[in-house]
Amino acid sequence: MADTRNGRPSQVFRNLNSKVASIPMVLTASVVFVGGTIWTVIHSFTNSKLLPRLNFIGLDQYERLWNSNKWLISIENLFIYGVLSLIFSLVIGFMLAALLDQKIRFEDTFRTIFLYPFALSFIVTGLVWQWILNPDFGVQAVVRSLGWESFAFDPLYNQDIVIYGILIAGLWQGTGLVMCLMLAGLRGIDEDIWKASRVDGIPMWKTYLFIVIPMMRPVFVTTLVIIASGIVRVYDLVVAQTSGGPGIASEVPAKYVYDAMFLSQNLGQGFAASTMMLVTVLIVIVPWAYLEFGRRRHRG
Amino acid sequence: MPRAVTTRRKTVNTLAAWAIGLLIFFPILWTILTSFKTEATAIADPPVFLFFDWTLENYAVVQERSDYMRFLWNSVIIAGGSTLLGILVAVPAAWSMAFVPSKRTKDILLWMLSTKMLPAVGVLYPIYLVFIQLGLLDTRVGLTIVLMLINLPIIVWMLYTYFREIPGEILEAARMDGATLKEEILYVLTPMAVPGIASTILLNIILAWNEAFWTLNLTAANAAPLTAFIASYSSPEGLFYAKLSAASTMAIAPILILGWFSQKQLVRGLTFGAVK
Repeated sequence: MADTRNGRPSQVFRNLNSKVASIPMVLTASVVFVGGTIWTVIHSFTNSKLLPRLNFIGLDQYERLWNSNKWLISIENLFIYGVLSLIFSLVIGFMLAALLDQKIRFEDTFRTIFLYPFALSFIVTGLVWQWILNPDFGVQAVVRSLGWESFAFDPLYNQDIVIYGILIAGLWQGTGLVMCLMLAGLRGIDEDIWKASRVDGIPMWKTYLFIVIPMMRPVFVTTLVIIASGIVRVYDLVVAQTSGGPGIASEVPAKYVYDAMFLSQNLGQGFAASTMMLVTVLIVIVPWAYLEFGRRRHRG
Repeated sequence: MPRAVTTRRKTVNTLAAWAIGLLIFFPILWTILTSFKTEATAIADPPVFLFFDWTLENYAVVQERSDYMRFLWNSVIIAGGSTLLGILVAVPAAWSMAFVPSKRTKDILLWMLSTKMLPAVGVLYPIYLVFIQLGLLDTRVGLTIVLMLINLPIIVWMLYTYFREIPGEILEAARMDGATLKEEILYVLTPMAVPGIASTILLNIILAWNEAFWTLNLTAANAAPLTAFIASYSSPEGLFYAKLSAASTMAIAPILILGWFSQKQLVRGLTFGAVK
């Protein structure tokens, strides 16, 4: 960088340097994600079986996909899991944060304990909860041994509610992180706001709902990004907890893709399913992301 | 203090926090306790809490069946390697985004983060094919590279957030004194950003340590880390809960200990970007 030796580098060189500095990152990200995704989309229109072949058959794979019961169940499960885990982790996470914000002693200890589940992989989480929710050894057995003989709580063995059993484990794992983010956000709120609202006699819950939460908008955006990337990862949890069972009641799209590719040797079908996932994610995320980040860019 | 909390209110809050803390910690505690029980005690009805004959037998059995140290070593290399590699790639990128922003910077950042939300299965097969071609399947090198790529957006995002808090004038001053770009990043920026970089490293080690989708799909025996170790106990050992607990405890112990000794950095790492 000879130019930097002579005092200030020119703007051109500065920009050039910055471009060079970003190249490794942009290159890896684009080659892997964009390249891989395009490859997958192209091959979703072929009849690839055991090996990828460029033998195009139009939309046949998609037709078969949407006629598959397993796929429909997967979509429904992901939808239920996604919406509920978004709502519950935001609500519970915020309430825990508000609780810890009340100047509780040993706050650091609690924060670490609340965060511990996050440090566990989904695989371990799934195994632990598979056991807790097992009717013979877990919660149900304990409550029954306390005398309540007819108590029933076996979500993992009931087709209708198995996805909620997975949701419980997912919330246990992820809510601590949400709490931590929210707590940091609450700490960023100026104490004068609390003083002012108390002087005006506004009830605490109203202050939270109409003043504090709107002020925490950036925190909520960060949290949403993190929760969303967790929802996509539910695959790990399902594999560890139920392997998609009982029957096919707790299948999720990522597992459908995996099964099609590696178990039933039907690559084209797997590619079509992952393309559908991609499209769904894009439909949900792109408009929101541009609204959120795009506006902030124009403002500042 | 602005929010004058009454004593009674405070007691209620503290009790609630204790109750929730116990509830959250209980599954982990139970797993650890069970790992010291015999199989019969583990499934005793009603469950035994503390008063049982503590035994290390499960750990011995698990160790005998699968070599724990090999999995642990793989985890350490893969998690550590992918994080260091990620930092090397991300520091220059985050530097350019934070100090030489262009009109496109926000777009690039947004686009990078959005890849984090795309389903990983979408690129599983292409990567799988590339791995076969390059002979990277079931190697530590291959897994390190993949996990680096997976976590790169988060690393860049976090570093970007930390770097932006550093006043650009300091870097400017270094440059005026004739520091080259390399010197500027290595000797001026990095030392100032050490706390932020440490938090980033810590969080990413945990993320990489826990990554299961890629590690399970791209490894078989040689490069399998602890996630594979624990997954191998899930199905065939389905009903041997004491051994499963011992295996789980062995898999989570390193990360729990790491987490306990670095609470501060961890919490800061986890709240990145949340407070502006």
